[in-house]
Amino acid sequence: MEAQTMTYVPSADDLEVITREVWMSFLDGDPAGLVAGGRVPDDDRVTGCVQLSGAYVGAIMLELSSAAAQAAAAALFTMPLTQVTPVEVADAIGEITNMVGGNVKSMLPGPSTLSLPAVVYGALTLPGTEMLRRAELAWRGQPLAVSLWRRAA
Amino acid sequence: MADGDRICALGRLGRRCISLLAMVIDDSSAMRLILGRIMRGLGFDVVEAPNGAEAIARLESGTLPDIALIDWNMPVMDGLAFVNAVRKREEWRNITLMMVTTESEQSQIVRALAAGAHEYVIKPFTPDAIADKLALLGVLA
Repeated sequence: MEAQTMTYVPSADDLEVITREVWMSFLDGDPAGLVAGGRVPDDDRVTGCVQLSGAYVGAIMLELSSAAAQAAAAALFTMPLTQVTPVEVADAIGEITNMVGGNVKSMLPGPSTLSLPAVVYGALTLPGTEMLRRAELAWRGQPLAVSLWRRAA
Repeated sequence: MADGDRICALGRLGRRCISLLAMVIDDSSAMRLILGRIMRGLGFDVVEAPNGAEAIARLESGTLPDIALIDWNMPVMDGLAFVNAVRKREEWRNITLMMVTTESEQSQIVRALAAGAHEYVIKPFTPDAIADKLALLGVLA
């Protein structure tokens, strides 16, 4: 397997800043809305993932508690929480993952290609990869996390 | 609302307070909703397509927008392929093409512009950023 040459690896703070920018643009205009901390429960989560191929091989993953995912979909679609269905959750989390992933990608060695987002209810495993960075956050009391993965050497 | 209060699109015959047509092409229905709302707020009528192929089908059926807002990463036909397809057709040469995408690598931006896109907006964006780009393109007064 070809080793990847790394010039700069975005930090956990970089992941947080990018996520905060996406949140403020589309989900919550309050700069204090997204705060550090929070742990996404193993048994109650929605996971979005975009994979990178090219000069950097890896993935960017967004994990949220199902309540956070539903609230994010409601905010993005500007609709009542009670009317959000799994279709809106998948669309919203996919698009948020895509935005976060695209902006993280811009900090990684290029050129690389971003995959279409995948969204699952539950955890997602990425065989043959290792996690490099993880930012754990909370929004409206619900946890979410953004992580950067790289193909294992 | 009186015409004097409206944000008016700039037609090819000058300032006019009739709506121009925007086509929002994005596989995310949430993003189509957000962009559609912004464009309607700026005085545009809006049609949508979930990928480049469906957008091409709409053009071929006679729906000719003044501007298309195009995501890059989409299933079936991506945004760059859509731009290439539009630029091959003489009858669609007046459509202004603006990429609205997370794809922010410089080399990719250059590719899109070289293919015939007029402007480029990186997600996430603000409504003001969209309005500023439209003003730069001369489609918004």
